Amino acid sequence: MKKFFSSVYHWIDERVELRDLVEFLGKKYVPVHEHSVWYYFGGVSLFLFIIQVLTGILLLLYYKSGEELAFESIQFIMSKVEFGWLIRSIHSWAANLFILAAIIHMFSVYFTKAYRKPREITWLTGMMMLFLGMGFGFSGYLLPWNELAFFATKVGTDIAGVVPLIGKPIMILLRGGEDVTGATLSRMFGFHIAVFPGLFVVFLGIHLLLVQRQGMSEPIEFENSQDTPQQRMPFFPNFLLRDLLLWLLVLNVLAILAVLFPWELGKKADPFASAPSGIKPEWYFLFMFQTLKYIPAQILFIDGEVLGIVLFGLAGIFWTLVPFWDRKSSEGIRNRFVNYVGLFAVFYVILFTILGWYA
Amino acid sequence: MRSRLRRSLPFLFVMTALVQELALSQDQCLVCHDAIGDKNAALFKRDVHFLKGLTCADCHGGNAAKEEMEEGMNSKAGFIGVVKGDSISATCARCHSNAAVMVRRYKSTLPLDQMEALKSSVHGELSISGKEQIAQCTSCHGAHGIVPKTNRLSSVHPLNLPATCSNCHSKAAYMRGYNPGLPIDQLEKYRTSVHGMRNAGGDTKVAECASCHGSHDILPAKDVRSRVYATNIPGTCASCHADPEHMKGYNIPSDQFEKYSKSVHGKALLEKRDVGAPSCNDCHGNHGAVPPGVQSISQVCGTCHALNASLFSSSPHKKAFDKRKLPECETCHGNHEIYAAKDELVGVTGDAVCAWCHSEKKLKRGYEVAKAMRQQIDSLLGSENRAMALINEAEQKGMEVSEAKFKLRAVRQARLESRTMVHSFNEGQFHEIIDKGLGISSHASVEAAQAIDEFYFRRWGMGISTFIISVLAASLYLTIRRIERRQAEESTKSRQGS
Repeated sequence: MKKFFSSVYHWIDERVELRDLVEFLGKKYVPVHEHSVWYYFGGVSLFLFIIQVLTGILLLLYYKSGEELAFESIQFIMSKVEFGWLIRSIHSWAANLFILAAIIHMFSVYFTKAYRKPREITWLTGMMMLFLGMGFGFSGYLLPWNELAFFATKVGTDIAGVVPLIGKPIMILLRGGEDVTGATLSRMFGFHIAVFPGLFVVFLGIHLLLVQRQGMSEPIEFENSQDTPQQRMPFFPNFLLRDLLLWLLVLNVLAILAVLFPWELGKKADPFASAPSGIKPEWYFLFMFQTLKYIPAQILFIDGEVLGIVLFGLAGIFWTLVPFWDRKSSEGIRNRFVNYVGLFAVFYVILFTILGWYA
Repeated sequence: MRSRLRRSLPFLFVMTALVQELALSQDQCLVCHDAIGDKNAALFKRDVHFLKGLTCADCHGGNAAKEEMEEGMNSKAGFIGVVKGDSISATCARCHSNAAVMVRRYKSTLPLDQMEALKSSVHGELSISGKEQIAQCTSCHGAHGIVPKTNRLSSVHPLNLPATCSNCHSKAAYMRGYNPGLPIDQLEKYRTSVHGMRNAGGDTKVAECASCHGSHDILPAKDVRSRVYATNIPGTCASCHADPEHMKGYNIPSDQFEKYSKSVHGKALLEKRDVGAPSCNDCHGNHGAVPPGVQSISQVCGTCHALNASLFSSSPHKKAFDKRKLPECETCHGNHEIYAAKDELVGVTGDAVCAWCHSEKKLKRGYEVAKAMRQQIDSLLGSENRAMALINEAEQKGMEVSEAKFKLRAVRQARLESRTMVHSFNEGQFHEIIDKGLGISSHASVEAAQAIDEFYFRRWGMGISTFIISVLAASLYLTIRRIERRQAEESTKSRQGS
């Protein structure tokens, strides 16, 4: 068997010079320190994205877009297609776990200042992927065309429409008209399976390339430590096998969630029915949704909702541009302000998500 | 008391004549118009307004105290002549809507909102001329000979009112202008009804037009505020028919409303506000209201329950009921107090109505059929309940069973169909429906049971996959440890070597 693998390796090596890559991987090391655990969340996010792609392709074999077909096709997938229920449940759970893993990854990068020079582009592509991930969630939410998704999309696109000047055109673009209709479903489907994946793969390619090219970022303290010898572990096979071990565990968690808590389909959307009580967006939008509920209708001469959305937009831009305003970290100096901003953001998001969840 | 009244009668007569003479002497208009033989003047002399001291000028303007026509009927003195259009009702309302005049001056107990009620009524809508409302006060009350409605001569006296209303409502050409769909034979029908016949015979207690439709505040029957709107009809009828005092002497019970309210029809109409449910007039008629006779009961019920009536008519029971002069539907279901048709009505035990006529000794064939039908109904119900329990269990386990649930609706439909088919009293036809229901129910049960099996299969699958993944993870963990131990040994060796 060993001989067989060896001959296969040589066959490929002769053609694509695999040896260089293996040597590169062999020389690649991952720093070992007290924050090393956070390195794994990037890999977990990648693994969950791969699961999303695979289960998404399988769902695509049976899913039919359209007001009259979408709900019924999901119903068919869940009741008639062999293991269709499992694929759909895994797709839905993995989507949420992906966002969770990506958020944890983003905050870990933020707090360890891994975004600092020379990794600004890695951070930016990562942030783009997080926004796209949320876009995946928002567009995919409507695809089953159920009551909850219908009204959540209505509320979500309504909020987008409040933004001054560009809000209304964005709302029309997202909805494919004035209201949430079959045209919106077609658009969301298009975004979900073509536009977003296309963009995502580009950002993912750049992100992974940069991670391989620049290696793992080391915390400032680790980089500056003179007293203790710096520990490193080989990327191949040590880190990769550890990654694989975690992926296996995540896969198991996914399977358990999918079986014990199968993703419900609910009632088919009825545009003429009144909105059911307790309409909420997906959990990762809850903190913004809940904040908008608390903002008074009018603050001075500005509409409260508009102000909230503009502030969130500015905060998002501010957060995304952290490598450019945090100069100290790039120079290897501790920047406590960044930590305070990050801690405030974590506390705020958790608090308002909890408030929104139980509202 | 009576003798004292008799003694004071001449005095009252003299006083009235004196008041009349006094009023006449103050109303120079009436003096002249009476002298020239004006009919209106003659009528006005018995008018309640004249007796209360009003003069012609109070409505027509001018100065009634002036003897000279040029002075009395001078526009400078406010003379307006014949009052026309909406000014007629406005002239009446000047006093009739004025509490100071009606209550303080004339001590009247008449309501003061008649004008408002008329304006918001169907008669207050704009007439086809577009210049005035459809009806004025004088349209019903007349102009110069108005007397209290208790007076037999009044056009709105209960015995005269049907004819007064029909002055317009029976005229096809006139009514076409307002509501071409409205029948014009109400008076004709009314005269054939118990109410109409008694009214014609001089009974002032029975219902006439105003009893049901109201007087000044009449609204279209489609208006939810109308006394004759579907959901208000039982209450309107009950205002007389549920009053034992009022109904005394008519030899009919006064508990129909109470019974109806408890019935399946009453609950649908009064509680669920289902205007499709029958009200009193749907069975008894409205203007031609009479109790339906034995022969016509199935026709009355059959207007809604068409299939039941048709099945019954072609069943062996039809002949048997006719022979015994039994009212068809009413015999088993009752009349005002009709309860929701339950499966228990069929059979030979408990609440089953079949047992009223059929027993093992008497009319045995019917007894056997009723018994068999009940067994089949029970078996379908049992099968439906079992399927429902399985579907609920599968649903509670989070399984997708919408198709099985949909089938359950078909089972329920079959059970409802069987209730209709009972009226054929044909065991074969009945069995067919039950069989259909049992078949669907069995399919639904199988699907639900499969879903439950699938649930356990998933649990087992999850257990096995967790085991396999755990083994793989443990192996991977051990491999990592082995590799790292080897790396550590190699590193130690290389450090020792160097």
